[in-house]
Amino acid sequence: MQLITASNLGYSINDKRLFHNLTFSLDSGCALHIKGGNGSGKSTLIRILLGLTAASKGNIEFGKPNLSISYLGHKNAIKTYLTLMQNLELIFKPAIFPLAVDWMHSLGLTQVQDEMTANLSFGQQKKLALIRVLANPADLIMLDEPFVGLDHSSRNLLSNFLQEQLALGISLILTSHIDPELNCSELILSEDTNA
Amino acid sequence: MLNFISSEIFKLRHKLRSWLGPLLIMILVLIAFPLSIDISQYDLNKFFFSVIVVALLMISFLATESIFSEDYEDGSLEQLHLVEKDFYKVVLAKIITYVFLIGFPMALIGSVFSIANGISLQDAPKIFIILATSTLILFNVFAFGSALSINKGSMLGVLASLPLALPVIVLLGRAVRTVQYGSGFFEVLALMVGIGLIVTAIMPMIISATLKTHLE
Repeated sequence: MQLITASNLGYSINDKRLFHNLTFSLDSGCALHIKGGNGSGKSTLIRILLGLTAASKGNIEFGKPNLSISYLGHKNAIKTYLTLMQNLELIFKPAIFPLAVDWMHSLGLTQVQDEMTANLSFGQQKKLALIRVLANPADLIMLDEPFVGLDHSSRNLLSNFLQEQLALGISLILTSHIDPELNCSELILSEDTNA
Repeated sequence: MLNFISSEIFKLRHKLRSWLGPLLIMILVLIAFPLSIDISQYDLNKFFFSVIVVALLMISFLATESIFSEDYEDGSLEQLHLVEKDFYKVVLAKIITYVFLIGFPMALIGSVFSIANGISLQDAPKIFIILATSTLILFNVFAFGSALSINKGSMLGVLASLPLALPVIVLLGRAVRTVQYGSGFFEVLALMVGIGLIVTAIMPMIISATLKTHLE
């Protein structure tokens, strides 16, 4: 089943054209790796797919109504004045909370669970933000540079998780300058992108 | 809706500065004013309500300055957008939480201080009700201001929305006079409650549209 079909997508900002006539589709259980240099519009494309930013032209069709999406962008969406555990309490409903705690243990955050998030390192904050994706069941996962700030073992953990999700039929769209080591289709954005 | 309200209560409960700060400033202003001027008790009775009203205005202004900016800056609004395409319920939950946890205690402090300055115990609940209704309207107005310039520092938008709050102050002054002189209180209160309910129903819609525009 085609989960997303994008047709002739284009986006311009301040008379600068980031990409145009972008046409692609994504099937269930497939992954799409969006590549491109800095400022090529990778994050913007993800925001357009999420409905956060309006495309300058083109349209997107979703193959499933009420598609559930897990997303992690550049911002971690965590509260720095709360402890790690309190952040999990805030983010997750009671039914999913135990799973989130399991992921916290798996990511090696147990020792800092009662630390103020503001005192955690960049990588630890990133791991906490990733739990939102790891513990939330979704039809589609969208990640914007998910491997940045992660240590080697956490990168492997995330790659394995994503691989498992793909096997379960969940789709993935990600941008990354680091090779995700996944079986992905690639979409390369450049100034003259005309895919 | 209840989920949003409980999340907002959870967050605000842990942000001591955001809720306790305005309440302490309110107490400080109401204590400091009588101490700082040399007038008789008779004159103080006449002036004190003006201080309560101005304190309420300024502290509502301060309390709502960062009502949305934190969620905008840390990316929580983006995450909320995935769950709720329309922010109406989120905004309404935020305003209700702020009014209950900051606005109503401010109104209580104002009414307690008004007893100390000549209002009878029987009239104090009336003062509480009109101050509480005023905070409901003021928090809505300033929340709109905060949303208006969320990516340029919320204070600018809150300042821009200040003129919208002035009619509320005029109405509040009128309501206080009806308590002092004992006539027409319920007419003015009905007007204020009506405005409060309309503003609370409409303003979250406008704020929701404003926040969505900023997210883009």
